[in-house]
Amino acid sequence: MLVDFELIERARSGDDSAFNQVVQAYRKRILGTIARLIGRPEDVEDVGQEVFLRLYYSLDQLRTAEVFEPWLYRLTVNAAYDYLRKQRRRHESRMSDLSEQQVMMADAAAGGKRDVEETRRTKIRETVHDLLGKISEEDRILLTLKEVEGLSLKELEKIYRVNENALKVRLFRARQRVLKAYEAGEPEVGG
Amino acid sequence: MDRMKDRLDALWVEYREATPDTDAGPNFMPQLWQKIEARRVETTSVFRRLAQICVMATIALALVISAVLIPRSNYEEVFYSGTYVDILAAEHSNDYVEALPAGDYR
Repeated sequence: MLVDFELIERARSGDDSAFNQVVQAYRKRILGTIARLIGRPEDVEDVGQEVFLRLYYSLDQLRTAEVFEPWLYRLTVNAAYDYLRKQRRRHESRMSDLSEQQVMMADAAAGGKRDVEETRRTKIRETVHDLLGKISEEDRILLTLKEVEGLSLKELEKIYRVNENALKVRLFRARQRVLKAYEAGEPEVGG
Repeated sequence: MDRMKDRLDALWVEYREATPDTDAGPNFMPQLWQKIEARRVETTSVFRRLAQICVMATIALALVISAVLIPRSNYEEVFYSGTYVDILAAEHSNDYVEALPAGDYR
């Protein structure tokens, strides 16, 4: 826990300054998770604000302060899921890939010496976003939380509110699907 | 298959390293509070609108009820405007005639 239970209790009881402190404590971590879940840096803050907005209006439903972190992650997952579904509907995923490529091309055209390491990172991000764009939003989020965020099965159980066996089955299937997409794509980077 | 799996596992690690946590810009908190306030105002205005609709519906219902019931009650008042004895007399005005034997009016 990044904050103590007493602060969460105060935020729950309507103390706005306590809520501010909770947001400031979790903001960086939640925005990082959102960035890896949705893959569009320009929308990360919007989705992050949506998460904390939902948190503000649902804090009174929180049973105990002990379950705060899974609760916050659950809100994050839901907001990311809503965002990804909207994106899929708008068919904008290709636009995001293009925008990053365009930035790279503009940099190259300007004669700027782009850092080799940053170029490599950009390529990795593109590869993963492209790969995750080929599977469902549910698989994408689950795999990102497990493989990239490094959450344990116990933590995922609390977020998804399902038992370990059901979670293992879901993870297995999601891994199979992403592996299939990865094999089909045969990207150049990846180890 | 295993080789691809290993490559994919390595890719996840590289992706995690390539996307470090970055903090929000200076406008994050002010914008968040604006959104919280906007939602609060929106919720309040929804309740206010609901209350207005309820009041309007109540007034309309009262008008309809009064439009239907008031003329009827007026009619009933006209119908029962006489005293109880008058009404009885009116309803049974022929009883005396029927009770008397025919031709015995003198």
